[in-house]
Amino acid sequence: MKTAKTSKLLLSLFSLALLAGCNKAEEPNKPASAGASPATSYLETIKARDKLIVGVFTDKPPFGFVDESGRYVGFDTDIGRQFAKSLLGDENKVEFVAVEPASRIPFLQSDKVDLILANMTVTPERKEAVEFTNPNLRVAVQALVPEGSSVKHLDDLSDKTTIVTTGTTADIWLTKNHPDWKLLKFEKNSESLQALANGRGDAYAQDNLILFSWSKQNPGYRVLEEKLGEEAPIAPAVKKGNIELRDWVNAELARLGEQKYLLKLYDQYVRKELSEDTKPESVIVEGGKWQG
Amino acid sequence: MSFDVAFILSTLPAFLKAVGVTLQVGLIAIVTSLLVALVNAAILVYRTPYLQRVVQLYVELARNTPLLIQLFFVYFALPSLGLKISGFAAAIITMTFLGGAYLTEVLRAGVEAVPRAQLESGRSIGLSEAQLLWHVILPQAGLLSLPSLFANFVFLLKETTVVSAVAVPEILYTTKSYIALYYKTYEMLAVLTLICVLLFLPLSLLLRYLEGRLQHGQFGS
Repeated sequence: MKTAKTSKLLLSLFSLALLAGCNKAEEPNKPASAGASPATSYLETIKARDKLIVGVFTDKPPFGFVDESGRYVGFDTDIGRQFAKSLLGDENKVEFVAVEPASRIPFLQSDKVDLILANMTVTPERKEAVEFTNPNLRVAVQALVPEGSSVKHLDDLSDKTTIVTTGTTADIWLTKNHPDWKLLKFEKNSESLQALANGRGDAYAQDNLILFSWSKQNPGYRVLEEKLGEEAPIAPAVKKGNIELRDWVNAELARLGEQKYLLKLYDQYVRKELSEDTKPESVIVEGGKWQG
Repeated sequence: MSFDVAFILSTLPAFLKAVGVTLQVGLIAIVTSLLVALVNAAILVYRTPYLQRVVQLYVELARNTPLLIQLFFVYFALPSLGLKISGFAAAIITMTFLGGAYLTEVLRAGVEAVPRAQLESGRSIGLSEAQLLWHVILPQAGLLSLPSLFANFVFLLKETTVVSAVAVPEILYTTKSYIALYYKTYEMLAVLTLICVLLFLPLSLLLRYLEGRLQHGQFGS
């Protein structure tokens, strides 16, 4: 009797699980695996869920941060809103997912987000792992040191401790080009800056735009003149093989370029963070027309 | 997605080093936690005035704040007060802070679980307080505490992954570094999981075996 009851219960549970399994493809909160079924269009999948899911930074002003009212804003973040407006007709039909430098690519690989708009520099290694669209910014890596530091040149850091944020271009470049330098790695940009302030390292290597912005607001630091590696493009990224979404983003960037929209965002977020003589075109790439 | 075995092999030396760091942090923290707990348990068992309140407060504070927050506090906040502690030291300090509190409770419970009749019998045959402690209370309390003591040791070892947050190069830190540099997410997480299984499971089994032996020695099978 008892066994019969149990098996009945199990059976109904099992069929429920099966049903749940069937439903999974339509689950609104999860991006369907890109490229898995080329028959259905990825853009249609996004439209069906009526929400664009975008991975952004939350602690990297002016590119992605949280404003006083708790809203995700910034140069990158606002581009995400424009994409949602164009695709779904409403700039609020976007779900922002907070990512860290090292989690950007895993989030794309595991279909947690449709798109990464988190200040990601295009590198050969990353090109293997994700599909970059055309760029929206250009950047070089430099190093930040305290004002009174004895460090004058990059090479002075060879016997010192350099702080990096895990998975940033600086982390990759230093590991490959100076594997003997001592690196101290933190997950978040804010933690790395705190570590530098606490004197846990002699310098912090990071994208120069972030360093310029931070050192302007926090006196007592200077950015070393020399660059770590070449100037490189920063671009949105989608999952490897998702050519449809990549091409759509490229078309969107071109469209925004005609409106000079990135310049508008630059004026809104970036201009006040940089020194007065910075030219906008040395920072932003309007219309995606620069390949580094 | 292909599984890059050659890449995994190339990372093994680094992972071996990381396992060393994990074990180092874990084992030091277990020993220091045990020392803290012994002192605290004695204070609680003997109901030492004032100190008893301090220990109780400490236990509650340590058990009700997450390790990650304790770690961030020691590593990032204390330097503003002029106290700069290395990542490794911060890891040992906070894990001792946490582990000491849990082990204090385990030891206290062990002592309290020794039947009162045992103490009374001991006194009645003329044992001194010191003899009572050494020959009657500790052997029994120790055995009674063993299961939860061992469980807490394994718990502390597993908690070591948290200290990757302050750049201590243990297994999780190494995994994240490789994922960040080469984007071999699946491979590296598979290696990490395998290391955890290889590291913690045998330890769990060994501790269970030892526990069984000791219980057997005390009570028979």
